[in-house]
Amino acid sequence: MLKMVFPTIMLLPTTWFSKNNLIWINLTTHSLIISLIPILFFHQTNNNLISYSTYLSSDPLTTPLLMLTAWLLPLMIMASQYHLHNESPLRKKLYLSMMISLQISLIMTFMATELILFYILFETTLIPTLIIITRWGNQAERLNASTYFLFYTLTGSLPLLIMLLFVHNNLGSLNIPLLTLTAQKLTTTWSHNLTWLACMMAFMVKMPLYGLHLWLPKAHVEAPIAGSMVLAAVLLKLGGYGMMRLTSILNPLTEYMAYPFLMLSLWGMIMTSSTCLRQTDLKSLIAYSSVSHMALVIMASLIQTPWSFTGAIVLMIAHGLTSSMLFCLANSNYERTHSRIMLLSRGLQTLLPLMAFWWFAANLTNLALPPTINLIGELLVMMTSFSWSHVTIMLTGLNMLITALYSLYMLVTTQRGTLTSHIINMKPSFTRENMLMFMHMSPIILLSLNPSIIMGFTT
Amino acid sequence: VAHTGRTVGRLGEGDWDGKVSEIKKKIKSILPGTSCDLLPDTSHLPPEHSDVVIVGGGVLGLSVAYWLKKLESRRGGIRVLVVERDHTYSQASTGLSVGGICQQFSLPENIQLSLFSASFLRNINEYLAVTNAPPLDLQFNPSGYLLLASEKDAAAMESNVKVQKQEGAKVCLMSPDQLRNKFPWINTEGVALASYGMENEGWFDPWCLLQGLRQKVESMGVFFCQGEVTRFVSSSQRMLTTDDEMVILKRIHEVHVKMDHSLEYQPVECAIVINAAGAWSAQIAALAGIGKGPPGTLQGTKLPVEPRKRDVYVWHCPQGPGLETPLVADTSGAYFRREGLGSNYLGGRSPTEEEEPDPTNLEVDHDFFQEKVWPHLALRVPAFETLKVQTAWAGYYDYNTFDQNGVVGPHPLVVNMYFATGFSGHGLQQAPGVGRAVAEMILQGSFQTIDLSSFLFNRFYLGEKTQENTTM
Repeated sequence: MLKMVFPTIMLLPTTWFSKNNLIWINLTTHSLIISLIPILFFHQTNNNLISYSTYLSSDPLTTPLLMLTAWLLPLMIMASQYHLHNESPLRKKLYLSMMISLQISLIMTFMATELILFYILFETTLIPTLIIITRWGNQAERLNASTYFLFYTLTGSLPLLIMLLFVHNNLGSLNIPLLTLTAQKLTTTWSHNLTWLACMMAFMVKMPLYGLHLWLPKAHVEAPIAGSMVLAAVLLKLGGYGMMRLTSILNPLTEYMAYPFLMLSLWGMIMTSSTCLRQTDLKSLIAYSSVSHMALVIMASLIQTPWSFTGAIVLMIAHGLTSSMLFCLANSNYERTHSRIMLLSRGLQTLLPLMAFWWFAANLTNLALPPTINLIGELLVMMTSFSWSHVTIMLTGLNMLITALYSLYMLVTTQRGTLTSHIINMKPSFTRENMLMFMHMSPIILLSLNPSIIMGFTT
Repeated sequence: VAHTGRTVGRLGEGDWDGKVSEIKKKIKSILPGTSCDLLPDTSHLPPEHSDVVIVGGGVLGLSVAYWLKKLESRRGGIRVLVVERDHTYSQASTGLSVGGICQQFSLPENIQLSLFSASFLRNINEYLAVTNAPPLDLQFNPSGYLLLASEKDAAAMESNVKVQKQEGAKVCLMSPDQLRNKFPWINTEGVALASYGMENEGWFDPWCLLQGLRQKVESMGVFFCQGEVTRFVSSSQRMLTTDDEMVILKRIHEVHVKMDHSLEYQPVECAIVINAAGAWSAQIAALAGIGKGPPGTLQGTKLPVEPRKRDVYVWHCPQGPGLETPLVADTSGAYFRREGLGSNYLGGRSPTEEEEPDPTNLEVDHDFFQEKVWPHLALRVPAFETLKVQTAWAGYYDYNTFDQNGVVGPHPLVVNMYFATGFSGHGLQQAPGVGRAVAEMILQGSFQTIDLSSFLFNRFYLGEKTQENTTM
């Protein structure tokens, strides 16, 4: 494990001691090399953890998310190059250090074996994200956005700390493999209900659940591109990961307590998808679509069947890559027209045909086109929710329809139609941008060929 | 060196009490319940980002803002900022205008614009309705326009009236006998033909339209800012045309808005800039780099709009023409109309090129009235020999020196600057139509309802004049 953590920590001196014109090259290359390391973890002969140390280890649930996190850092660095090129070298290095420290905390969060370690690093990820949003965001509303982001997440996770300490007191250890062996059964008393709520609320806020999702559109819209990418791709998955880890100690209460959250997820899925149809701001549209996809993951984590867990993991990976790609595309538009409104950049297909292809591919994966992994995830989740209750198929089916509607609406508004006259002198697509889109798209396509590696615990 | 009684040392340096009270103030402002004044107060500054920045808050600028908000298909779609230098509108052409509307032009586009404006004004309380606000009273006097033509202009007037009738304006031709019959106060010496607008023509209160637009546009969510645009920050790019010529296309991505009486300015990031600055449009265009190039090329073509001063005089004449008097435009260029119900009239005359007054100030030239306007008025209306001038004011025309018609649409080289200016005295009456045309150009890519492609900027470079041949 240290072979991943140490190189990532060492990226910090790399940033600070590189020559000014070599920062980007050094960091991108080294983070790409680091991202090859999780591939070693994919070969697992059984469902036990690959325990390389007592504190950090990796299992079939962790490894896909770890791969996603590691893969995303070079992409974030590539995407930030344009909007940082006017800043002073000190500021550039600060920004990159924030991203790298975020990366360190994220890697260790996913690999933590002990739940307290997981919690500490979970909270640590908030601080670099906050600094990125507040310092490098675009508009004055970013202060409001970062306040919402910080306080929603902190308030949700304080009860979790209390519960973890309580469980540690009771069970003597919070080591994840040991939890499944020693957990006591929770019944439906008031205190056990509150225990369940306290454990779950942090992750519900993080996912986010429909009623607690106010921070997400604000934070995503106000963050700079790297902030949006890491928020959408990885930070939301922390919630799903935490939920799947903690449900092992919360049985059998989950079947009883999960009911209101399942209802909220089902309803919220449709509400946020419908909101997407009315959005004018491109980034806001993608943010609401994230809420909609994550609602499916919440449902899957709460239903707790093997297929639903598989569906949740696959959907998390697929959504992470797709959402991040959509944010990169929206950012490439924003850098050219200086406006995030969809109406003001229409008909781009005639101007930038290759970028139109990436838009097309991203929107197709967003609407869960077969045979991409997006579809596999969504289909598995829909099937398990159908088996939980037959009625849900109407809601999840309606959601798939509305998802298709807004994805195609986004595609048609930005790409098709007549070109507006005030964008005829757009700079053509940079190789860096095309590379960025390719590096987002190729894992999706390759994983569609062999999705079993991200399917988590399959016995 | 002996120290005095106070302790001098590390701790005593500086104003310790002051520092402590500052820290206490900071902590208090962070606590919930109090407003956070840690950051400097920027409520007087425009927002840092706006999708469309409209330079100029007169009737044309507000009309573009209104139609942009009306034609966006999703509520809250476009963020619009209107930057107006003078909130009292003391020199703006809109407030100082005579307020007439007529369809008697020779160009079909002008006729269509005025017809649309007339229907807009008739239905103004549907267009500009704001909840809980009283309905607007435009004081529209539908008395019509009467254009008089001498022998040499009669043929042109006949063909113009034919075009106007084709476009749907209700205009009729009158002979001198019919004129004397209908308007007994008129002296038809030197008049061969007259055209009289029977419907949709007259005059109204421009202030009321401006205030109505302003309050509607504010209710639709447009930001207003009082400030002056001092700089455009743009990025350029070289591109090859289809004839393998190299052109440099510019794109404005930031507008610096300077606040009144201070050096403070706010850079506003924007996607589109609309030049509706009226008489000062040429300065705004020059800021964007339009016209900086060798003369005779497209880069060197300046925006040919300049301010021209025009005086309006108000007089009292108890024996003057009655209530049905239209706005009469004489063969000499003098015009007058009734003002109010107390035998007051207002009017003036466009000076010739040699007589052009100095546009640096808005002082009225009373000698001009005595020598150049009154004789013609007295000739045409004998009752005006005994008039008494009550008051006078002067206003600017945003005069297009090329062909005296408006400039609408994008600039070919500065790709995101749109014009809505240069209407040379008939901007007020065409404002609703022009606003809609610019909004359609931005939101839908082309003119949808009224085709104003003959008013594009290109004609200055290509030399194609879109000129009126009426006597107005």
